[in-house]
Amino acid sequence: MMRLALLNIFRRKMRNGITAFGIAVAMGMLYTLLAFDRGYQQGLTTELDRLGAHVLVVPKGCPYDAASIALHGASWPCYLKDAYLKEVAANEGVATAAPILMNATWDEKSESQVVYCGITAELLKLRRHWKAAEGGVLPSAGLLIAGSDIAKTNGWKLGQTVSLPGIDKQTLKIGGILAPTSSPDDSFIHIQMSDAQRIFKRPNALTHILVQLKDPNKVDDVVNELRGCDAGLEMTVVPLAHLFTTIRGLIQATRVLLGCITITAMLAAAAGVANTILMAVAERTREIGILRAIGTSKASVVGQLVLEAILLCTSGAVLGVITAMLTGPLAETRLRTILPYAPTDPLLGAQPEIAFVCCLLGPVIGAIAGMLPALRAAALQPSIALKEVM
Amino acid sequence: MSTIVTANAVSRHYKRGTEDVRALDSVSFTLESGEFVAVVGASGSGKSTLLHLLGSMDKPTGGTLTIAGNDVATLTDAQATKLRRDVIGFVFQDFGLLPTLTVAENVALPLGIQHASSKDVRDLIERVGLSHRVHHRPEQLSGGEMQRTAIARALVRKPRLLLADEPTGNLDSASGDRIVALLQDVNKSLGVTLVIVTHNPALAALAERQLVLVDGHLVDNS
Repeated sequence: MMRLALLNIFRRKMRNGITAFGIAVAMGMLYTLLAFDRGYQQGLTTELDRLGAHVLVVPKGCPYDAASIALHGASWPCYLKDAYLKEVAANEGVATAAPILMNATWDEKSESQVVYCGITAELLKLRRHWKAAEGGVLPSAGLLIAGSDIAKTNGWKLGQTVSLPGIDKQTLKIGGILAPTSSPDDSFIHIQMSDAQRIFKRPNALTHILVQLKDPNKVDDVVNELRGCDAGLEMTVVPLAHLFTTIRGLIQATRVLLGCITITAMLAAAAGVANTILMAVAERTREIGILRAIGTSKASVVGQLVLEAILLCTSGAVLGVITAMLTGPLAETRLRTILPYAPTDPLLGAQPEIAFVCCLLGPVIGAIAGMLPALRAAALQPSIALKEVM
Repeated sequence: MSTIVTANAVSRHYKRGTEDVRALDSVSFTLESGEFVAVVGASGSGKSTLLHLLGSMDKPTGGTLTIAGNDVATLTDAQATKLRRDVIGFVFQDFGLLPTLTVAENVALPLGIQHASSKDVRDLIERVGLSHRVHHRPEQLSGGEMQRTAIARALVRKPRLLLADEPTGNLDSASGDRIVALLQDVNKSLGVTLVIVTHNPALAALAERQLVLVDGHLVDNS
């Protein structure tokens, strides 16, 4: 039966190829949509975990921009006064308030952006996953702690005194090199807060404060208290979990639209399969009559035609999923340009479980789409079917 | 000899629009095992209708038709299918071979094409003289070879009743003669009841008996 089904499919290569292509497009879209949904969710969760903070305190402005800059590194357009840190830290619900002064410079030599973070020991309470590949993890005066990638790029060694990339006439000694963290920290240069304020000529300034709460369930209470404090008018207090939920909400409309398009594509592809099998039945009516005349049962006729539809859809689904997996990085590049916020981790990485489900869905669609024409073929009276010209 | 087919006042009427068509009207006859019978008549005389009834592909609207002890009118679709599979073999004018399958696979089709290399199939192919064409497809065969393939397919389940609809209609005379000889051989050596529907008087004359149909009526049964 399998061989006969395959031979019948290859009888009409062009038509069946186009039908399988339709399924491939629909399944590729479905895989991409589901993989993106999962990748985006995982990316946001991972970013939140890496940050180790529950609340982000930033200068007045757009919280999404601020979150993106804080997470991925860039120059900030405005600053907080470091006096605000005391007010934030003084809140009873706050376990840790880690101040950061972030600045990005352009390094002509490597033709790339270099991100500096002025930090204090408080940040280590949020970065418990940091491990030193060499030296220490906390910068002290005159020392820098390099992320693994930037150290590798510049060939830095522990104890070496280096010119700071993108900054004229400033040198610091390498006090430590971090083990890889698979986060933007790998490309950051961490220096002591006072060094950062001096080098970037921002005395008493911070770019943001990462806040860890004693009880994350009380985030709303703490956020309201911080917004109500004296410095509250000068800063934006962003609960990160809420922010990420909001970010997910921002792309919800896009997801729904893509979902609708995918469902439409799947319905159209299924209709295409049904139509292809109907055409095959119309063309092979006499053949079906002959099969019935030589004793082939109705069930076998149905099974034969449904198998053809299943094979068509399975091949289309596998082709579509493989193509979607291979072209995922290209689609991701485009997606990142249109998303309001994109996590650092891959959004369209390979998702074997989703690929498996999509490949399984192919034969299911084939069985459903092929059933109607197959039943119609089986219902043909042999004596009538035999009157068709072959 | 035993009776394999009994037709008692068999009719097949149907509606075509408002017209009542009597394709077959009160036809009675019997067929004995191992007989060679020709069904003759002009176009529209009811030959094809009779063949479909004998093949249990259609049901009479009147009378009683019994094939190998089965009342065709009362058979379910599954029972009729089983009867066709186990008792009846068909040979069509246009051969009715599946173009994607080889000779061996076409012959094995009633058994399942996975049996294409079985001994029974090979023996039948040899019997019809196509051993050198086993792996050829229908498009690579002559008309005579295609019909021999169709005959082998009809015989593969060892039927008791072989129905042939104009088996030489699409063949040149030389090929037609060889097919007739083959059918006669099958009839004699295997004891299969052979019913041939034909327009060809010469072919009909070879039969032991002729059923002559005129406008749905059996006018001669001798």
